[in-house]
Amino acid sequence: MINQLYKKYVLVLFVLAIGTSCTKLDFKPTDTIPPDQAFRNVNDINLGLLGAYALVDYSMISLSTITSDEATFPVENSVGNNDAFRWLYNSGSGSVTSLYYDYYKAIDRVNRTIEGMDLLTFTGNDVATANRYRGELLALRAYLHFELLRSYAEAYRPGALGVTYMKKSQLGYPARDNFEAVIAAANEDLVAAKALIPATFNDKTRVTKLAVSAMQARVALYAKNWADAIIYATEVINASPLASKTQFPGIWKDANDDEVIWKLKRVGTTDSNLGGLFYRQTGGIVSYAPAFKLIAAFDQVNDLRYPAYIKFDATRTGTKSKYLVNKYIGGTTTPGLTDIKMFRTGEMYLIRAEAEAESTGDAAGDLNKLRAARINGYVDVTFAGKTALIEAIYTERYKELALEGHRFFDLKRRNLAVERLEADAAGAGSALTLSLTQAQYALPIPAVELSVNKNVIQNPNY
Amino acid sequence: MRKNILFDHLCRYAATNSLFLRIKLTGLIVLIMCVQVSAGSFAQQKININASKASITSLLKEIEKQTEYRFVYSHNTLSNDKKTSLNVSDASLQETMSYLLRETSLSYALKESNLVVIFPSSTADKRDIVIAGKVLDETGIPLPGVSVKVSGLSVATATDGNGAFAIRVPDGRAILEISSIGFQKQFITVGNNTVINVVLKIDSQGLKEVVVTGYTSYKRVESPSASTFVAAEKINDVPGLTLDQILQGRVPGMSVISTSGQPGQAASTVIRGIGSINGSSTPLYVLDGVPIEGTYFQTINPADIESAIVLKDASAKSLYGSRGSNGVIILTTKKGKSGKVAVNYTSQYGFSNLSRPNFAMMNAEQRLRFEEEIGVDFGLTLGPGWTYSPKNPSYTSGTDISRKRADRILDSLRNVNTDWRDLFFQRGKFQEQQVSISGGNEKVRFYNSLNYYNQEGVAKRTGQERYALRSNVDFKDDKFSGSVNISIGYSQSSFTEDEGGTTKGGAMASVYYALPYEYPYASDGTLVHPGNSSSYFILDQRSGSQGLERLLNTSNKTDQLKSIIGTSFAYQILPELKLSTKAGIDYRNSTDQIFVNPDSYYGSTIVAYTMGGKGRFEEGSRRNFNIVSTTGLTYNKVFNKLHDVEVSGFYEYVYSNFNSFGFVGYGIDGRLPETPAGVTNGSSTFFPSVNGGKTRSALASFMGVGRYTYNEKYTVTGSYRYDGSTKVDPTNKWHGFYSFGANWNAKKEDFLAGVEAISNLSTRISYGLTASPIGGDFNYLATYGSTSYGGVNGIRPTTPGNPEYDWEYVKEFNTGFDLGLCKNRLNITVDYYNRITSNMFINQPLSATGGFSSLNLSTGKMRNRGIEFDINGDVIKTRDFTWNIGANAGYNKNKILHVTDLIDSFPDGDTRVIQVGLPYGTYLAPKWAGVDPKNGDALYYNKDGSITNVYNSNAQSVTESGSLYPTFTGGFNTSLSYKGITASALFTFVADVMRWNNEDFYTESQRYAPTTNQSVRMLNDRWKKEGDENAILQRYNQPRNYTSKDIQDASFLRLRNVNIGYIIPKGLLEKTGFIKGVKVFVQGQNLLTWTKWRGLDPENNSVYGRFQYPNTRTYTAGLNVNF
Repeated sequence: MINQLYKKYVLVLFVLAIGTSCTKLDFKPTDTIPPDQAFRNVNDINLGLLGAYALVDYSMISLSTITSDEATFPVENSVGNNDAFRWLYNSGSGSVTSLYYDYYKAIDRVNRTIEGMDLLTFTGNDVATANRYRGELLALRAYLHFELLRSYAEAYRPGALGVTYMKKSQLGYPARDNFEAVIAAANEDLVAAKALIPATFNDKTRVTKLAVSAMQARVALYAKNWADAIIYATEVINASPLASKTQFPGIWKDANDDEVIWKLKRVGTTDSNLGGLFYRQTGGIVSYAPAFKLIAAFDQVNDLRYPAYIKFDATRTGTKSKYLVNKYIGGTTTPGLTDIKMFRTGEMYLIRAEAEAESTGDAAGDLNKLRAARINGYVDVTFAGKTALIEAIYTERYKELALEGHRFFDLKRRNLAVERLEADAAGAGSALTLSLTQAQYALPIPAVELSVNKNVIQNPNY
Repeated sequence: MRKNILFDHLCRYAATNSLFLRIKLTGLIVLIMCVQVSAGSFAQQKININASKASITSLLKEIEKQTEYRFVYSHNTLSNDKKTSLNVSDASLQETMSYLLRETSLSYALKESNLVVIFPSSTADKRDIVIAGKVLDETGIPLPGVSVKVSGLSVATATDGNGAFAIRVPDGRAILEISSIGFQKQFITVGNNTVINVVLKIDSQGLKEVVVTGYTSYKRVESPSASTFVAAEKINDVPGLTLDQILQGRVPGMSVISTSGQPGQAASTVIRGIGSINGSSTPLYVLDGVPIEGTYFQTINPADIESAIVLKDASAKSLYGSRGSNGVIILTTKKGKSGKVAVNYTSQYGFSNLSRPNFAMMNAEQRLRFEEEIGVDFGLTLGPGWTYSPKNPSYTSGTDISRKRADRILDSLRNVNTDWRDLFFQRGKFQEQQVSISGGNEKVRFYNSLNYYNQEGVAKRTGQERYALRSNVDFKDDKFSGSVNISIGYSQSSFTEDEGGTTKGGAMASVYYALPYEYPYASDGTLVHPGNSSSYFILDQRSGSQGLERLLNTSNKTDQLKSIIGTSFAYQILPELKLSTKAGIDYRNSTDQIFVNPDSYYGSTIVAYTMGGKGRFEEGSRRNFNIVSTTGLTYNKVFNKLHDVEVSGFYEYVYSNFNSFGFVGYGIDGRLPETPAGVTNGSSTFFPSVNGGKTRSALASFMGVGRYTYNEKYTVTGSYRYDGSTKVDPTNKWHGFYSFGANWNAKKEDFLAGVEAISNLSTRISYGLTASPIGGDFNYLATYGSTSYGGVNGIRPTTPGNPEYDWEYVKEFNTGFDLGLCKNRLNITVDYYNRITSNMFINQPLSATGGFSSLNLSTGKMRNRGIEFDINGDVIKTRDFTWNIGANAGYNKNKILHVTDLIDSFPDGDTRVIQVGLPYGTYLAPKWAGVDPKNGDALYYNKDGSITNVYNSNAQSVTESGSLYPTFTGGFNTSLSYKGITASALFTFVADVMRWNNEDFYTESQRYAPTTNQSVRMLNDRWKKEGDENAILQRYNQPRNYTSKDIQDASFLRLRNVNIGYIIPKGLLEKTGFIKGVKVFVQGQNLLTWTKWRGLDPENNSVYGRFQYPNTRTYTAGLNVNF
């Protein structure tokens, strides 16, 4: 009897043992890459770098469009939120704070890729390729920080609150660096980048040596380092002349990329659609129309830029805006899908002109040259003095770089209020002026950042 | 040995003798057995006799020689000429006597001092009455094997295969006890009847008495578990609801809130409050031992469900270890009953309407008046109401002809007056057909069912069709038992466009947005949309027509194929030791299909969605596979009739994998709609895209469960489960979960045993540790994924990873009692619990500088504490009339105890906050201070209590608007039956819940007023002139900001279900010969709703009200036939 019982228990234990043996608990994910597999070779470094490029977008364009006097918010736009346009944004408004997250995320991708690269040793041809990638990465890091600085700095002067310059990937709670510290760090990265990218590399959809020069010129302009601005702008102008009058309109339809120094490639269905910021295909709604102030600034007959940038559609009736932004209409496949132009030679002329006006005083030449390239039958103008020259340069920037993400920051560079025409403000019921004393004159640091990072100080008046 | 002989004896008689004899013998044997028990204490004396053709008296003498037994008998009854044979060795008196007296009508009784009295058993028979009859169930099916017993006597029998019985009773005063497992016991006084037919009612009370957890099944009075039982009749036949929704209002402490009125959509079910912020709060559903997905009930036929048990406390949940903390819902499907094959057919038809025709938008006249008022006051042109208004300066300055034309235009617009609900909603038809066939014998039973269900939604184009098949077989042969439960279901669902969205052009939003003087069709029947409106004279925005055009030219469907297979086998190795093994599969394949007609305006507009402007076709499949296997041993023995011990050990392995795959194609040929064949390939304009992914997880567990009950009074239980999971970092992979519990069955105590008023009283207490299931499979890992730049692939870090990411542990204390009063006519269950989640996942926001916006931390702590009760009573209970009332409710208080070491609060979405000391779901909003009667400014409270007209959400936001999750939920029900008529009603309520009504933001806003219709409050209740004291809305041109007034009370009381039925009297059916029972019924769902909520439907689990698909009001009528 006991023997029989014993046998039965053995049987049971055997069954249990079989059950136990199918314990399998060492699964690895199939759809994601583990960190130790992320950067194995030079090709992976390129993938990491492309991951960083993927986050660079038209945020600067939308920020300036919404907050400056370049655009109007038409009545027909009932689908959008006009709070930001009316300067009612605060630290909780995603429309003005999302860039803060997007660009730091891009910076982190850059830093992770650089750190992944530091763990590898390259041989043969890979050495040069890796160097170029490192150059692109450093330039991107400088550029991204600089754009954050343009957006969120308290003001563009030494001592003003800037943004944290992240030189490595780290979860932490750092304080904001001052304006000049960010400029210095960006310059350092740009100098390093320039040495690493060969001059022969000419893919405009990525950061080339010439693009680094363009970045240096823009940084110098904001830092009021007129000498550097002239040097770097000249580098670009010499290497990439202005587009011809016949070629110029084609730039905006992606028919050519003359005088484009760096552009973000946009293809397919999932890439961001810059034209969609201004015109919503569904329902045919104009979200942002060119400001009447901007329209009035052009010589509509002779200025090539006017038809390239602005479209008049008489068939739109009632409360619908007859003026539309034409600049980002894009190619033929998907309306509004267009490469995003980050740097153009036109801007370099204006940078050099402004720097010259501020230092050597010999700026009329650059200004006239740019105008002559854009306006039919243009006759050179002479300027009464520095103030008139600067004013003319600013007007020219307003026109040449309209809706390219500069206007709001240009005004801020010289402590000028944003002033809208009555006609431009009416659609959304916005105020006419954003004065220097208002909090909204500097974009707010996001509320969440403030709540978790006690080391961060908000911009004044929020 | 002796018992075997006795049964042997019985069987032989049963086989050869008449029913009459058998009954007599049964009574005799029962008597003998009773005597036997009382004689058990005497010394055993063995008898050895081998004699043939001997007289009984001589044999008795021989026994007297061998033993100390002495026989007493009358010589009249025992004559010497009666010869018999006897061959026994080492036999007891009982064996010997039963052989000896087997062919006589004699009985014997063992008295004191080994005295054996022999007497004729027929002496008692003379006064006996024979009662014959039949036992049927409520549907008229004969019940075999039913025990029929005479109260107070040892006379008993059982019904045969035809449900027939016959029994001898002493006289008319005798009372028959008729009982069978699963049915209510009946007592019938014999009186002058000789034929007694009995109908037994199904006893859900009996099933209720057992707490089934999937690993154990303890008697309720011996279980420390707080659980609620829901019987079949509450689940079956309710039209148009998924299984989870049917449990709404039935279980105290369980909140079931619909997610959508879309037919077939699963509800959001939460037991005892939300215990997790970033983890899951969905309970674990177990169907016939197989854990199933908690959100896919489309193909499960509720009519197949026999019972549901909701396990709420740690003692039961911790058996499920790391998956149990949100509660476990054990579902059991129907089993066949032995006896004749029974066929049951149910058919019901009906229709659905909107549950709440709440709609307060302007009609055409109001809208035109509103446009005119705004024109007059602000000079703004919102539309034709001002353009053509006689008050417009251009009207007065115009010509006579232009004025007449303006009048005519306004007049005709006024007459358009479209009610957009008529165009986007419909009366949804409903039908359901159900056949079940069941039957079996003592060894094998089966239940098969086939269900067809088709429900149209109230929103156009929506609906669900289902085919469900089930086959259950269970068997028991001696020591071997088991069951196989197979179900397979196929459903087809069709959805509307942009449900729950505020985007213009979405179907639900269009109902609100579209202007009342807009009519979609031109007089020639053409649908006038923005694409062709230039050919017509259109003065409105075409927003409704645009939505309609989109709705009519698109489709969004999901097909689901789901199969749940559960098998279980058990082998009783020893009387006290059982080996059991279970295995189950839950398989689902969902195929999603989206189509946009290329020949429509919507499909030809070139946007990213219809790349190339020639429609879109996408199809994808999601395949979920789950397998579970459990093997274990259960040891159960009662020692000395006092110590009842049950111990089990199990090993379990659960494996899941999920695969998805899909494509999106463009350039559709309109002649080949809704098929991949219509997609253009090889064109750069219409470049198709592919998506999909794979993942898997596994859980291995060892567990031990034990129970000890002393004298049926005191029970203690304990369990331990050791879980190993692939979902946490390897360092945290294995973790133990435990529980302790105790139950005191007070009714068994001497001091209560005699108290008639209290029929049942047991109290319980338990404590234990469980964890909540982790949503993602690899949440702890730092990972990289792919991205692209300019059409070239790149990689990006996707998650920062956190190796310390661990289970969310839930410690729960529960105590409660069950009280039954007045023969269980009134039953009260009360439980109190305190449930603390620690290590709670907090998706803590990070500084942006780290590259990630948030990190999964295991740092939070949250408490849910509450009390729940269930009261059920029969107010009236007579033979013909019963009236029952029940109520249950749960009160739960949630509080966040800890967030992270770094912060005490952070925003949760854009309107809520996660903050220590406040309940989860607390809203954060600037406090609305009304409208300034002087100038119509919107006013807001500053935090210091002062009032300002300057809006600053950062500085003004306070947490005074309540919370998204209700504190008080429950239901009450009543049912009555009078003869063949039955009626029942169920009410459910949700109290103390606030929701963000985002609809107001669009329908009462100057920003949207020019293009979208507005609520009548914008016309009547906005500030218009100085001194408007009662204005609800600010001056028209003031911005509409988010404030506390957007957080609105979404409490509601709903008359969930009313069911009235009539059972057609048997007499009418007898002529048919084959129909055994017919019941006709009508019922209504969501008939009435009481709420203050102004949006579409208060019942929705979404954090905001945004034109969600409302629940429907459904009326059905049906028929239930038994064959």
